[in-house]
Amino acid sequence: MKISVINGSPKKGKSTSELMIKYISSQVGEGNDVSIYGINKGAVKYVNLKDIKNSDVLLFAFPLYVDSIPSHLLQILIELEKQKPFSKEIMVYCIINNGFFEGEQNHIAIKQMKLWCDATGLKWGQAIGVGAGEMMSFIADIPLGHGPNKNIGIAIKRLSNNLMNKKSGEDIFVSPNWPRFLWKIQASFFFWHPRARKNGLKIRHLKRKQI
Amino acid sequence: MNVIIHDLSTKESETLFTGLKSETKLISNNGQIKNCIGCFGCWIKTPGKCILKDNYEKMGEILSLADKVIIISRCCYGGYSPFVKNVLDRSISYLLPYFKIKQNETHHRQRYKKDLLLSVYFYGKNISKKEAEIAESLVKANSINFYVSKYNVSFLDSSEELYNIAEIQ
Ligand SMILES: Cc1cc2nc3c(=O)[nH]c(=O)nc-3n(C[C@H](O)[C@H](O)[C@H](O)COP(=O)(O)O)c2cc1C
Repeated sequence: MKISVINGSPKKGKSTSELMIKYISSQVGEGNDVSIYGINKGAVKYVNLKDIKNSDVLLFAFPLYVDSIPSHLLQILIELEKQKPFSKEIMVYCIINNGFFEGEQNHIAIKQMKLWCDATGLKWGQAIGVGAGEMMSFIADIPLGHGPNKNIGIAIKRLSNNLMNKKSGEDIFVSPNWPRFLWKIQASFFFWHPRARKNGLKIRHLKRKQI
Repeated sequence: MNVIIHDLSTKESETLFTGLKSETKLISNNGQIKNCIGCFGCWIKTPGKCILKDNYEKMGEILSLADKVIIISRCCYGGYSPFVKNVLDRSISYLLPYFKIKQNETHHRQRYKKDLLLSVYFYGKNISKKEAEIAESLVKANSINFYVSKYNVSFLDSSEELYNIAEIQ
């Protein structure tokens, strides 16, 4: 089976989308032809549209931006739509991650992707909305299906099974198996503040107003 | 001040916006906008301002000066067109990185203590009911995140209909 994976994170370095792709790849059996396309170099030409047309499965992994599909990915979706009609039946799966704790906040982006599938004539497979995206790399050493990675582990398994069998499934929304209040405090102390200090800022500078 | 974010061509916008009050800030597509690179620099490097240099880096500050934001966008898969979405993706410096729980959901805290008004005009041929519903839920979600106290969403068959709308004349 030919699987084309589109990493929709614009980040230059590591991204949560990349980690999600790693998780799904680890569940998808050997013997499949998997190609991963990055769009982080900022141009449509980095995604080989012709090549993607011959896939059995398209997997989109991307971050939620302003409650919906990020603009750079939107451009690529529009370009892909222009390639229709597709000669084959292609199934589309998505794993969308967002910064806020609740994976449910990805529901609009999932609906947008379904509309895109309808417009492009592709078949909808399934989507997972993953909350607390930034936390994912902090807990990447914990095996999937265990501790805080319990919920995402179950979701990844389900989507991967459906993907391998080209089946459709219900939307799945997950948040870490972890208290939200703790996550909220940890976000400041383990994420925003160390990064700001590294840039030579004091914590009070983060609230700076431009006027 | 009103801010209009739109994706109309130069020709269309020149005729449509000729009578605008001077205190309106127009955000138009000059073809040079860069996409957000997800670096969070606007929160942890140059707080309140995007680090990319292309004349769209000050969206946070522009929103802080706005009373009302008017968005004019072609409807794309139940959302904004790429340019309008790009401007919004580049606007998160309007908020703080810190989280807050609102109606049992996480959102960001405000950098500027103020609320906005928002009007969104989606245009396009045959916008389906399903698409319109998704677009409405998107504007609603954006309004929660950007601290909009009152919003409305309209759907137009074509950008020609914009000439009949009082708030953009
Ligand atoms: C411009 C921008 C807009 C964002 N908007 C949202 C949002 O509306 N809701 C949300 O939960 N997270 C939002 N996020 C957070 C990202 O979804 C989150 O950081 C995600 O983990 C990034 O994934 P990646 O590492 O795969 O790029 C936004 C991030 C950026 C940079």
